[in-house]
Order: sequence, then C-alpha cells, then structure tokens
Amino acid sequence: MSTFVTILIDAVSYAAWLFLTSIGLTLVFGVLRLLNIAHGSFYSVGAYMAAYAIGLCVAAGLGTAWQFSLAAIAAVTAGAVLGLVIERSVLGRLYRHPEALILIATYAAFLVLEDATKLIWGGQSLYANQPRDALGQMQLGALQYPIYDIALIVVAIALAATIGFVLNATRIGHCVTAVVFDREMSAAMGINVVRIMTGTFVVGAALGAFAGAITAPKIAISPGIGVEVIVIAFAVVVIGGLGSITGAVVGAVIVGFARALTAHLFPEIEMFAVYAAMAGVLAIRPYGLFARPEARKI
Amino acid sequence: MSRPRADWTIVAIVVIALALSLAAAFIPGWIRYVSQNALAAALASIGVMILLRAGLLSFGQGLFYFLGAYAVALLNKHFAVTDAAVTVMIGAVCAGAVASVLGFFIASYRGIFFSMLTLAISMVVYGIATKLSFFGGSDGLNIGTLSFFGYRPRGAELQIMSFRFCIWTSALCGVGAHIFLRSRLGKVLEAIEDNEIRLEYLGRSVRDTIHIAYAAAGVLAGIGGALAGQAARHVDPSFAYWTTAGDFIFVVLLSGQASVLSPFAGSFTLEVLRTFASALFPNEWQLALGATMLAIVLFLPSGLGHLVVLIVRAFKRRAEAREVIEQ
Repeated sequence: MSTFVTILIDAVSYAAWLFLTSIGLTLVFGVLRLLNIAHGSFYSVGAYMAAYAIGLCVAAGLGTAWQFSLAAIAAVTAGAVLGLVIERSVLGRLYRHPEALILIATYAAFLVLEDATKLIWGGQSLYANQPRDALGQMQLGALQYPIYDIALIVVAIALAATIGFVLNATRIGHCVTAVVFDREMSAAMGINVVRIMTGTFVVGAALGAFAGAITAPKIAISPGIGVEVIVIAFAVVVIGGLGSITGAVVGAVIVGFARALTAHLFPEIEMFAVYAAMAGVLAIRPYGLFARPEARKI
Repeated sequence: MSRPRADWTIVAIVVIALALSLAAAFIPGWIRYVSQNALAAALASIGVMILLRAGLLSFGQGLFYFLGAYAVALLNKHFAVTDAAVTVMIGAVCAGAVASVLGFFIASYRGIFFSMLTLAISMVVYGIATKLSFFGGSDGLNIGTLSFFGYRPRGAELQIMSFRFCIWTSALCGVGAHIFLRSRLGKVLEAIEDNEIRLEYLGRSVRDTIHIAYAAAGVLAGIGGALAGQAARHVDPSFAYWTTAGDFIFVVLLSGQASVLSPFAGSFTLEVLRTFASALFPNEWQLALGATMLAIVLFLPSGLGHLVVLIVRAFKRRAEAREVIEQ
C-alpha cells in the first residue's frame, strides 16, 4: 500500500515538473510552428538566475518568501529579455525559411547560451536548496515527503489554469488561438500577427526560465542541465501532440507515471520508460494524442 | 545516345586521393591526424547532406557514428579482429542494419518530428553507453594496433598506412555517394523537398525513398565513425551525443549542398578551426561555433559554398557586360 502511495505522489510530482518544463515549448510551437531547442538554455538560465537570487537573499538574511519571489522574478525577467532578443534578432528574420534552417538557428542559439552561462557562472555545480529545506517535510501516511515537491503540483495546476483562462477567456488569448489556427486569416481580420508571435515567444521563454527557477532548489545546477530538459520536454509534448496545451498536461501525466512506476518497480529500465511511452503513443497516433489533423497541401 | 562525359567530381576525388596518398610520408603527423578526423566527419556529413536534400534534418547521425566506431573497438577487444577493412565493413553493416530497422519508424516523419526523434534515439543510446561496462562506460574503449590485409606495420609506418586507408575508404564512399545523388533516386530526394504529394502521384513511394536515404546516411556515418575510431585508436560515448551530430550539420551548413565535395571542404575547415580554437580559447568553442552558425543562417543560408557560386556569377555577368559594350 505504501509503495502504491509513494508511486502515486512521485508520479504526480514528476508530472507537475514535466508540465512546467514543457508548457513553454508547446506554446511556442503552437503559435510560431517552430521547435525551440534554445528552450533548454532558457531553463538553465532560469535555474542559474534563481540560484544567484537565492544566494543573495540568504547572504542578506531574507526569509523564504523573499527567496522564492526574487528567484522567480529574476528568472522570468532574464528569460523574457533573452526571448525578446533572440526572437527579434534571429528568429523573426527566418520565418519564411525552411523548418530545418530555423531548427539549426535555435540549436546555434542553444550552443551560444550554453557557453555564455558557463562563462558567467563557471563550470562547477551550484546549490540553492535553502528554500526547499526551509519548507521541511510532511507526513503522508507512513511517508515523509518534501513539502516543496507537493507545492510544485499546486504551482503546475495554477499555471495550467492561468494559461487555460488566458487562452479561453481573454481577448489576447482569442487572438493567439486564431493565429494558431490560421495565421493569414487572422492577419486579414486585423490581428497583429507579428506582435502575437513575438509575445508568445517571450512568454514561452519566460515559462522555460520559470521552470528552471522552480527546479533550482531540487538539483545541483551545472552546465548541461538544459540538454536533458529539451529532450524530455520534447518527449512530453510529442506524446500529447505538439502545440496542444491539453496534450502537454496528458503527456506530462503519462510520462510521470511511466517514470515513477519503473523507478520503483523496475529501476533498471527507468531511463527507457519515457521513450518507451513515447514510442508506444507514436505507434498508435503518429503525431501525438491531441494533434490537429493537418491537410496536405498540393 | 550521347557519349558518356567524364564526371569531374569523381576525377577530382581520385586525383586528390592519389596525391594525398603519395605525399603521405611527407605530411606532418598532426596534419594527418586532423585530416583523418575531418574525412571521417565528412562521410557522416555527406549522410546529413543526402537527408537534407529531401528537406530532412537529422540530429541523430551521431548514433551511427557511434555504432561504426564501437563496432571497430568491440571487434578488436573481444574477437581480436585487427584488420582495418574488415572492421570498417562490419561497422558499416551494423550501422546500416540499425538504420534500416529504425527507418521503418522514422521514414514516416518529416520536419521537426524527424529531427527530434532522431535526436531522442541517439541520446537514449548515449545514455545506455555511458552506463554499460560492455561499452566501457563514459571512459570508452581503446583500440589496439591495426593491420591492413595481413600487413602489420609498426610505428610511423602504421600511421601512414592508416592515413592512406582512411583516404581511400573516404574516396570510395565519396564516389559512391556522388553516384547515389546523381542517380534517379538522388533526384527523387530533391523532389521530395519540393512537393511530395506530386511525387506520389507520379508513382514514387516517398516513404521508401526516405527509408533508403536514411539507411544510406546511416552506412556513411557508420564508416565515418569506424574511421574516426581507427584514427584516434579510442572511442567514447560522446560519439552518440547530439553535439557530434550538430557538428555534421554545421559542416553541411558551412559548405552548402552543391556537391559531395562540399562536405569534405566544410569538414576540413571545421577540424582546422577546432584545432586552433582548442589552443586559443578552449572554453568558448561552442559559443564561437554557435555564433558562426547563426551568422551563416542569417546572412548566407545556402552555405559558404554559395559564395563561390555568387563570385562565379558576378564574373560571368561582368564578362557578359563587357561583350555587350564591345559590340
């Protein structure tokens, strides 16, 4: 029984983290039709900024609430600024080019940012676990579980609700949905498509950085954390269908459970669980569970 | 029927290979080593170029590079097979077999899906290779001394033979890839990028064509990996890491896709840059690589090879203008 509860909580907590890291990727894909490999570097920049901010707060003797809010603000600001710079200087000029070239451009941006973070923060690992330790553990049946990891679930749900609300109930959200469905038609209806695209990329980058910030207290922050994230986030969004928000939620839950189940029951195959889940879904639905059917153009 | 014309690409490859193998003894050792690495990476890059002709960007060619290299190392370690040609062939067969099997899954995907799925597969293999002691873990495996068709040179002679072997294997693959691209199948690949539905109306199976191209690219990368392993006499899991595949993409981006000769030129440029960069600024290599890629993508998306085309065109135009004036 206790194994079952552990698996359940692990799965949900992991799914929450997966959702946070992959939501920005799928949002950007939905609107801009490009897969942003640099999402991984937004994540690592966010993690580094959070670690830096938390380090400053701890040195200044500020409390946990300060640490959280300053870390989030620092990461989101850095992510948004980076996103704006990259979209305006690189991607914005490439939208008429083939997909392959845009993918190469985001890969190049990833390489640049990866080395830039290494130059700024050095090659050694950073730790920012103070706020997670400060929240302590909570008793769940016979089980001790960090409150921080439970709080992650709440944050993920709140974020999903916010994004759902913005997309479905606000004017801007409706414009974004329109651009997702038909870029040219939206432009004809008077939507400023370029602005929506830039805005979405900035939000996507900020979300990536936010995911990094919220993960920072849980991990050793070192160069290379961005690579794992981009591969696993792709697996999550491709299961749900690239560009679909609901898909990201479902993909995160599937991968979360696959990973938690194998981690507890068959630890040898844990690292394959994610990809086995992806291969299984793609074998049945080649473009993911919630992908829109697309007309082939002649 | 017209008389078959001389194919200048093949002539150029053979002449360069002949010249290099005759001059092998006079070339300094470090240049030979850099060249061997460049040739190995060039073969994998030709594979990337073949797929890119069809509009497909593979981020997973490192996987086949890895397979070719590890085939050499494992044969050497467990079966004491030292013959360079035999190990390269088995490496090519392994890579080709894996590519053919994966092709059933991969060939139905295009665009971003193709790129990211190939990337995911090679990262999974990288993950396995760093953990399993069979593959030597993250340290990799060493390769013993090679033999060439029963000839077992030692010392400097071994390096020169290894260099010549690498040159002729690459030349053979280069000619093979050139004939492939020139064939009807190669032209169909270009048509896939233009419009695959029309191609299917004409009765070609797009899926099968991509499958064949993927397998061919896998074989080329496998041979490249085997040559790289033989050059360094050491293999490690980083062969399957995505930045290895990223280097091949960089080569094609740098040189353009005009001919099979382009990746050779691009690969030499990359290896020379890497050699100097690792001496001058070891910590900023990726940054320089990324910045160069961005610059090419933004300002010269058809590659540096396109500069040559532009210059030739400008000269032609000037010559034409002069003719007009003289008339």
